[in-house]
Amino acid sequence: MLEVKNATKKFGELTAVNDLSFEVSQGQVFGIAGPNGAGKSTLYNLITGLYPFEGSILFNKKEIRGFAPHAIAKMGISRTFQIPQTFPSLTVEKSIGVGNHFGSQEGYDPSYVDNILEFVSLEDKRDELTGQLNLLDKKMLMIGAALATKPQILMLDEPMAGSNAKEILALMDLIKRINKDMGITIIIIEHFMKVLTELTQKLLIIETGTEICCGDPVEVTNDPRVIECYLGDVNDKN
Amino acid sequence: MDHKRIAIVLAVIWGVVAILPVFFGSTNLYMHILIMCLIWSVVASCWDLIMGFAGIFSFGQVAFFVIGAYSSAIISAKFGVPPIFAVFAAGVVAGGLGVLVGLPCLKLKGAYIALVTFAVHMILEPVLKGDIGRAIGTGGSRGILTIEPMNIFGYTFLSSEPIPYFYLMLLVAIICSAIILIVIKSHWGTAFLALKDSEDFATCLGVSAFKYKLRVFALTSFLTGLVGGFYAHYVGMLSTRMLGIDLFVTLMVILVIGGVGKFPGAIIGAFITIALNELLSPLGPYRPIILGALVVVLVLLLPDGIIGLIQKILPKKNNGLPIES
Repeated sequence: MLEVKNATKKFGELTAVNDLSFEVSQGQVFGIAGPNGAGKSTLYNLITGLYPFEGSILFNKKEIRGFAPHAIAKMGISRTFQIPQTFPSLTVEKSIGVGNHFGSQEGYDPSYVDNILEFVSLEDKRDELTGQLNLLDKKMLMIGAALATKPQILMLDEPMAGSNAKEILALMDLIKRINKDMGITIIIIEHFMKVLTELTQKLLIIETGTEICCGDPVEVTNDPRVIECYLGDVNDKN
Repeated sequence: MDHKRIAIVLAVIWGVVAILPVFFGSTNLYMHILIMCLIWSVVASCWDLIMGFAGIFSFGQVAFFVIGAYSSAIISAKFGVPPIFAVFAAGVVAGGLGVLVGLPCLKLKGAYIALVTFAVHMILEPVLKGDIGRAIGTGGSRGILTIEPMNIFGYTFLSSEPIPYFYLMLLVAIICSAIILIVIKSHWGTAFLALKDSEDFATCLGVSAFKYKLRVFALTSFLTGLVGGFYAHYVGMLSTRMLGIDLFVTLMVILVIGGVGKFPGAIIGAFITIALNELLSPLGPYRPIILGALVVVLVLLLPDGIIGLIQKILPKKNNGLPIES
């Protein structure tokens, strides 16, 4: 469904994403992990058209490199951000409506917005301005607005960051429902390995923009290269 | 403020303004001040739309006004186009230039847009005064000294009889404010606010920054240029003095008093500022000091301007904007 081929992004001397290639299949939950500064969010910015890059990204066998972010959203790739982004001038309902009106190919459908509000448990807060929401609700709102575009792929950037155990469970349940009930393919960047091993079918580990390993989440998390990347050299006795 | 309330406030404002000639109609100076209030209310509202709603720090509004004024004067004088059509042609010229200025601004953010648009303002004076300006009929440093008065269906609007021109400008201001309200209420307004609040998130939800930013540049510069045309045919002469800092500062004061992003605050701000400016004119050099002090006090006490105060007084209602095509 999504094929990233030899994607490279340089900021001057710094190579943020280095010749990265991977594939995401339809219906899959695909995880991406790596230390801070590994290039995970930059990779999202390449896929969603926010940054130009070298290489190629195919979505449903169509090249999407060079397309503007709004065009990629309309094609069916939607995303959230690591730092929750909302529209403080708009209410919860209108914010989700932005995704539905501008991102959905079928155009604005109020009943679909209502369904999304219920799906992300924000129906009671529909008339609140988004700046007044707590962190969990802001994340739910971001996911809701992204879902309102009716995406084929939803890309989540560290959805669990800053959440407590109860909130993590709520978010995990939501992600499972998005994947199973709505049939949406999910790519998720996350630091919590437990979350990744429970949610994903395939896991990619990157460090300094380069692939360390990619495959079954349990095998990947036990790979010595991944342990070294997160914890330092396992054989280092100092 | 929700749209019904904006419409009610607009109706009250224009209703009150419409009866002002009953009290001031006998004095041409007061009528002239009221006409200027109407003209600047449109320019300030356009500036508020692009800066307050769309979050684009465009400082080119006075430049588009001057471009509209000169264009209408030149089009009517050189090509014999009746003034009523020339003002629309002037709006198209200003709108087209607005799009041209908007294009490089799409790559920029914040203060850099302010710099580019202010550069247009700065460049305009030497262009109008120089060889290029003289070649197209700006009159160079001398300016344009005779501009045909507005004429509609054989009726000539003379500046010596200001009441008819007042009602003509009132009609123009009502139409422009209605257009701005419709835009704010429509999905355009929602797109402007979403792009202002979080451009990356908005674009990743399908909002085209290119399309909506260019639209706001085109619309605001068109309306500003159009009103510039009406100004030219009212005052009957033009010079590049309009590009001085005074007018620019006056517009800023209008927005601060009215409330940035608080339409129709700019309209109220225009009437207060222009009227105050004229009333304080006997004070000579103390006038800008008093106006400046007023701005400082208002920014500290009423950061959201007059409309912010009205919102505080009125019971709270949902501030969100509907998504409507």
